[in-house]
Amino acid sequence: MSKKPVASKESNRHLSPKEATLFRELLSLYETKNLKKGLKTADQILKKHPEHGETLCMKGLVLVHMGRREEGVELVRKGIRMDLTSHIVWHVFGLIQKGEKKYEDALKSYTQALRFDKDNLNLLRDVAQLQTQLRLYDGLVETRYMLLRLRPTMRQHWISLAVAYHLNGNLAETKNVLMEYEKTLKNVPHYDVEHSETLLYHVRVLEELGQHAEALALLDVSAKDRAIVDKTAIMEFRARLLSQLKSEEAEHAWKVLIEHNPECYEYYKGYLSNHSLNIDDNPTEALSFLRDFSTQFPKASVPRRLSLSLASGAEFKELAEPYIFSGLTKGVPSLFVDLKSLYTDPEKLHALQDIVETIRKDTTPDPSLASPSPSTEPTTYLWTLYFLAQHYSYLSEYAKALELLDLAIVHTPTLPELYTCRARTLKRAGDIYGASRAMEDARLLDGQDRFLNTKSAKYRMRAGLIDEASALLGLFTKKDAPSPGADLEEMQSLFYLLEEGEAHRRAGRYNLALKKYTSVQRIFDDFEDDQYDFHGYSLRKFTINVYLNMLDWEDHLRSHPGYVKAALAASRIFVDIYDDPQLATHNPDGGATDAEKKAKKKAKKAQKEKEDAAKKSGTTTSTNEDKGLEVLYKDEDPEGMKLLAASDPLERAAKLLQPLTTLAQKNIEAWIAIYDVAIRRGKFLQAAQALSRAHALDTDNSDLHVRIIHAKHTASNLPEPISPPAGPVFLETLNRLIPEGVSLETFNSQYLQKHSESASAILATAQASRLMGASLQEVQDVVFTVLNDKVALDIKTALEISSFLNKIKSPRVDELHKAFDEKFTISTAFKTTEESAKLRAWALTNDSVGGTAVTPTENEADLGTTTGSV
Amino acid sequence: MNIRLARAEDLAGMQAGNLVNLPENYLLKFWMYHIVSWPQLSFVAENDKGLIVGYVLAKVEQEPEEKGGVIHGHVNSISVLRSYRRLGLAKRLMILSQDAMYSVYKAEYCSLHVRKSNIAAIALYRDTLGFEIAEVEKKYYADGEDGFVMRLSFKT
Repeated sequence: MSKKPVASKESNRHLSPKEATLFRELLSLYETKNLKKGLKTADQILKKHPEHGETLCMKGLVLVHMGRREEGVELVRKGIRMDLTSHIVWHVFGLIQKGEKKYEDALKSYTQALRFDKDNLNLLRDVAQLQTQLRLYDGLVETRYMLLRLRPTMRQHWISLAVAYHLNGNLAETKNVLMEYEKTLKNVPHYDVEHSETLLYHVRVLEELGQHAEALALLDVSAKDRAIVDKTAIMEFRARLLSQLKSEEAEHAWKVLIEHNPECYEYYKGYLSNHSLNIDDNPTEALSFLRDFSTQFPKASVPRRLSLSLASGAEFKELAEPYIFSGLTKGVPSLFVDLKSLYTDPEKLHALQDIVETIRKDTTPDPSLASPSPSTEPTTYLWTLYFLAQHYSYLSEYAKALELLDLAIVHTPTLPELYTCRARTLKRAGDIYGASRAMEDARLLDGQDRFLNTKSAKYRMRAGLIDEASALLGLFTKKDAPSPGADLEEMQSLFYLLEEGEAHRRAGRYNLALKKYTSVQRIFDDFEDDQYDFHGYSLRKFTINVYLNMLDWEDHLRSHPGYVKAALAASRIFVDIYDDPQLATHNPDGGATDAEKKAKKKAKKAQKEKEDAAKKSGTTTSTNEDKGLEVLYKDEDPEGMKLLAASDPLERAAKLLQPLTTLAQKNIEAWIAIYDVAIRRGKFLQAAQALSRAHALDTDNSDLHVRIIHAKHTASNLPEPISPPAGPVFLETLNRLIPEGVSLETFNSQYLQKHSESASAILATAQASRLMGASLQEVQDVVFTVLNDKVALDIKTALEISSFLNKIKSPRVDELHKAFDEKFTISTAFKTTEESAKLRAWALTNDSVGGTAVTPTENEADLGTTTGSV
Repeated sequence: MNIRLARAEDLAGMQAGNLVNLPENYLLKFWMYHIVSWPQLSFVAENDKGLIVGYVLAKVEQEPEEKGGVIHGHVNSISVLRSYRRLGLAKRLMILSQDAMYSVYKAEYCSLHVRKSNIAAIALYRDTLGFEIAEVEKKYYADGEDGFVMRLSFKT
């Protein structure tokens, strides 16, 4: 804050000399965060000038810092009213709004402040950061220009202006500014990393402008002068630029990179594309280069693995054999996962199976001999069995996979991977309880490994054993956290929130499920806020390339699968609540589980302690430059009951889905969710667009089929036609999706005929006819055709069918479950309630820390690091 | 596995890998801070689906003037998912990071902390990568365990 409160004597800003001195003191005290003294000083001034706006605002600001936000904000508002033309009052207000993450509002206040103090550097710098955060690049260019004009000797002001032009899409101007900037420099020391980063940015700008020769010249001269010191970056830029310039030197440049890091895919791709080769289009030529590299770098796995993708027939076998054999003798646990993507080619699948089965034969110990075959290690046999078990499990041959694992476990009972593989196999086969037990077996073999711990907790959550999962997670979370879950949430564990949210949803605890999903949403909000400080920091550090990379990542942040998953799951719950408000009052087991109730108490205490501490020290733990102004997150709805009872479930869903309209355009589930929300909100234009987008992705999608019928059915049952412009567009879209003159009933049965062997299509047809008012009897008859042997049915769809029958209150649910249970022999998904209870208990019988009864021992959690960890 | 320089879009994956592997965890902003401050030093290993299966997060710092003011690299966190072990990923990640510490920042050595009980990691650092135990920090870890400070000198 600049210290120049100039005011004429008549103005209510005027202070008598003593108070004017005190006010300057107050500003200094605030700058040094000497809050207590600041407060005292403010009160001293106010004693004599109780309506002095700037002092009121400063006092308010100090109070907010001290944790008395409400009181403080009240004073600030009063102060503004007292002195509307002071830059200080608006600056203070802007700071507070920024702390509340209200960036638009903050920018407005800052703009006001600038009106009354237009050359204030602090204000301008903050405005630039706000404009970047809000992606207001036109304004950013202006602000950065102002800053440069005011302080042209500050190096960062030049760079900041160049970057602003870049963000605003004006690369030519970026280049000009950089050139002007470089002219101003004198005696730049060699090996200056900041200058090196700036020059690398300059090269990048030239590359993006397509001025490759100029870029290369700058790169080469700067590398020679040791002005650019990042060796790898030099090599990468060089190879790329030489390729673009079609230079003969390019090949060598790529080779140098491959030598530098032979495990980097990009380098091989660059090398090949320099030979005008594309891995997909010219496999034969590309392969011969890769084989050369494999010889040249015998330890590198990338060229050998890439070769497997390109080779075929006999050559594939010839290359695959040594690759697999080496992996099995070394005991590489990821070998199968590494090769799995080759399975899309059935020929390769069989070749791989043959190779590994042959190795198995060759390495099987002969019981008639005292010692096993001398040529191979006994572990090769073990890893071969492990590979084959994964292989057959992947091919849905569960019994065979389990048999192989039994053999392997007899051979070596102490290898956790065998149990994790058994767990995965059982999970795929639908036995969630057996899977959980197997994963716990794995964990018990290495209690110090957090990876196995996390897996076992995850499998417990999948089996609905939430408290028991929490007990496991607690072995590695902070002991003073309110609960293991609270610690994981604070540490931004998306995995934990998504798994537990899903477990609650399956159990019908929609409040707690929504709670977890909104926590995911909040984490992404935090990720977005996290960039704020870097708008200033990165430019001061001159790390511009990575900063621009970070901005781009932030712009696509919510394309993260974790966000998409949470948004879709929460939106479905919100839609269900809207359709059936009864769900909001229904509470399967009194809401929270025992562990959560306990955690809640602890959480309340922790929150209070946190607030007290903040009040005491006057600061929070934030790394923000304006420390202490940020709002602490306070959970006022730990049970999620307010979420469940929210009066605007559809609006909440729409808000969650909004980012997906641009960031998940290839995701049909997203468009379907967007339709479901839009049609219920009467947003017909958006509903029509969602249907069109989904249709473009997959014409025959079963979920889409139900929505098309839903849309048409909805439109024909409206009391009055939808008004233009939405109405005509909506109807037009439907006319494109449903052939002319075909009734909905016919459309539905045609769909069934076309997909009579698909279980999800059968379900979709049943859902659609129910929607059109078909009788329970009719609907059930359709549903039960999934039991036909010709129908391809998986457990996931079977579960969906079962939940549909439950939803329409079909009396034949048990009958269906019995049939499913016979069909999926290993699965536990369709057991009766009593059987399931028994299985749950059994799943915990190997349990050492199960439930909440046993508290984990200290050292078990503390030892937890593993290979390659610091 | 593909091994390359870490980028902003890898940060969430690195954080997630750290959370399932190790007991010392950090908020995303901490990861951002490192990659923005020292963009040449952190690397990732990813599988063919783009999942981050291993990472190294590193920084450069200067010793206090009274200790000589030496510039050196420091590895904050390195780990590889259990299911991707025995591929030598940790070793390769470390070597790339060390190479950059030396060539970009003229670091004189690389340091790291390791739990006294973590025999496997100590073996990797000492036997494979040439680190030596420089000192013991009593109760370095939050749970009270001692930490070793290990160092690898870049001077030959």
